[in-house]
Amino acid sequence: MTRQIELSNVQKYYGAYHALRSISLDIDEGEFVALVGPSGCGKSTLLRTIAGLEGISSGDLHIAGERVNDRAPRERDLAMVFQSYALYPHMTVRRNLTYSLRLQRRSRAEQAKAVEEIARITGLEGLLDRYPRELSGGQRQRVAMGRAIIREPKAFLFDEPLSNLDAALRVHMRSEVRQLHNRLGATSVYVTHDQIEAMTMADKVVVMRTGVIEQVGAPLDLYDRPANRFVAGFIGSPAMNFVPGIVQDGGTVALDLPGRPVLRFNGHRPAGEPVTVGLRPEHLELGDGPLTLPVGFVERTGSTSYVLTATDPELMISTPARFPDGRAEVTLSIDPANVHLFSDDTGAALLH
Amino acid sequence: MLRFRNTFTDGVGFDTVLVMLALGYLVVFSAYPLVYNIIMSFQEVDLFSLASFDRPFVGLDNYRDVLGRPEAWTIFLNTVKFVGISVAAQLTIGFGLAMFFQLDFPGNSWLRGLFLAGWIMPALVVGAVWSWILAGDFGVLNHALLSLGLTSERIFWLSDPDMALYSVIIANIWLGVPFNMILLSVGLAGIPEDIYEAAEMDGATRVQRFFTITLPMMRAQLGAVISLGTIFTLQQFDLFAALTQGGPSNASNVFQYWSWQLSFQYYEIGVGSVISVLMILFVILVAAIYVRSTRAEHVA
Repeated sequence: MTRQIELSNVQKYYGAYHALRSISLDIDEGEFVALVGPSGCGKSTLLRTIAGLEGISSGDLHIAGERVNDRAPRERDLAMVFQSYALYPHMTVRRNLTYSLRLQRRSRAEQAKAVEEIARITGLEGLLDRYPRELSGGQRQRVAMGRAIIREPKAFLFDEPLSNLDAALRVHMRSEVRQLHNRLGATSVYVTHDQIEAMTMADKVVVMRTGVIEQVGAPLDLYDRPANRFVAGFIGSPAMNFVPGIVQDGGTVALDLPGRPVLRFNGHRPAGEPVTVGLRPEHLELGDGPLTLPVGFVERTGSTSYVLTATDPELMISTPARFPDGRAEVTLSIDPANVHLFSDDTGAALLH
Repeated sequence: MLRFRNTFTDGVGFDTVLVMLALGYLVVFSAYPLVYNIIMSFQEVDLFSLASFDRPFVGLDNYRDVLGRPEAWTIFLNTVKFVGISVAAQLTIGFGLAMFFQLDFPGNSWLRGLFLAGWIMPALVVGAVWSWILAGDFGVLNHALLSLGLTSERIFWLSDPDMALYSVIIANIWLGVPFNMILLSVGLAGIPEDIYEAAEMDGATRVQRFFTITLPMMRAQLGAVISLGTIFTLQQFDLFAALTQGGPSNASNVFQYWSWQLSFQYYEIGVGSVISVLMILFVILVAAIYVRSTRAEHVA
């Protein structure tokens, strides 16, 4: 596979503010990459840097093998879908779609053919002569995508394209965007703050925080083997529980919870090391086990029960079982393979 | 009785009072003078018959009279030039400045505030300032041009028949630019930044973005500024009074000033009314265009 987008040691400053710190990232042709992180982490800045809407302070950016640091956005042959859609309000859907073709002075016949094709792919037939203000949110979203696709660019850049849609439509469009990506065999870079979107859509997820890439990997790798405490807490919903603990002999750790319960883990750490123990809510199993904790609060959604323990820190347990009313205590077990340990100093994962 | 009072505190009566107040104002101060003016344009009016309605109707005689005068055609052309050049230049400069102030640079809003000076000052004061600038013998402009070696002799801006009209136009452009700039700034600020970014990604150069995004999205504002500018320019009276009084020999005279001269200097009131009636018709046409352009804005 060839590299479509390559960032090497990219730095970005806004005055004294260091927005992107030594970003190095390779994106292969045909890959769907999600940039994810909390707001202000630099993911949108990174995307706009690739687009050329923001300059780079130092480092190199290559697209399809060519260094494009100093090229204007229109010379980079990338298409972008904006969060606000940024449709041209004074143009009909048809003219929105053909805007780039008209700038390239393509023939009318060519334009008409392209519009027909795009309308079919995006399901915009019958809406071509409407203005953006006459469309629903989902339809506008499709126009924005169509406008990007029609150019057959080197790569697609998505800047939180689904966050203005209601929840049901968002889930639907998620799969639609991904199917479109597969059909076109395109390279896509997708910015989102929603880790579910990143996990479900991407081949490769890039987790960012304060201008730094924390971890790059396949979605399930990030879930199974988070590189540090931040990634562990960010990926997965509900979020991972963190409990202070001290490593004991023989691959066990004592938790700082009532009764100082001891859990086994896979791997070796020196005894006496203070660590943070990470336990995913869905990995804590009800039934016989080393943890017996007081129940604080129970939420039930029908498919899942969320149990919060009355401890400090409190633990969240997620279970498909119907959790009965009035239980004062819950007894839990966990597979040693699902116990994560993080360094108290650096937050780095200690077991893998 | 209670019911009667209720309708005024809390019912249809109150609404009616409000409407009548506004309507009454319009009737007394707008409609009545307008109609009175139109009637006078069909009558023979002199100083003695000014106070009574009972004046001889002369049909279209006043119209024939005024349009047949030898200076009418010159003054008409002057008016067209005055309005055309003023509005075009105000629009171009105002648009340019509005785009300039869209850029982010230190001192931006402070500098923009300074440009409003011309708008705040009464036109008569502006006229006095410009009459000093443009004065032939001791004027600042001549001094500057001579010092820079751009001209070899003094130009008599206000008394040279070839220059007088353009001198007033220059002053009027200066006066109207801030209004254009502010209105167009508002329009420009209303165009979201990401639309420009989308166009940039779609391959549009800066010039293409101006013609395919900025101009079409400013249509409503441009329509408003052009029509309001035309109306304001047709109302421009003070500058003529302060600078040239329409002279020399009507070289810088325009309809609005001529109408005043005829009515209140020569007391040919019927003839003066004819000109204001003609101007009213034209302004109604422009106003219709303005209303249409702002209506398009509401739809968009």
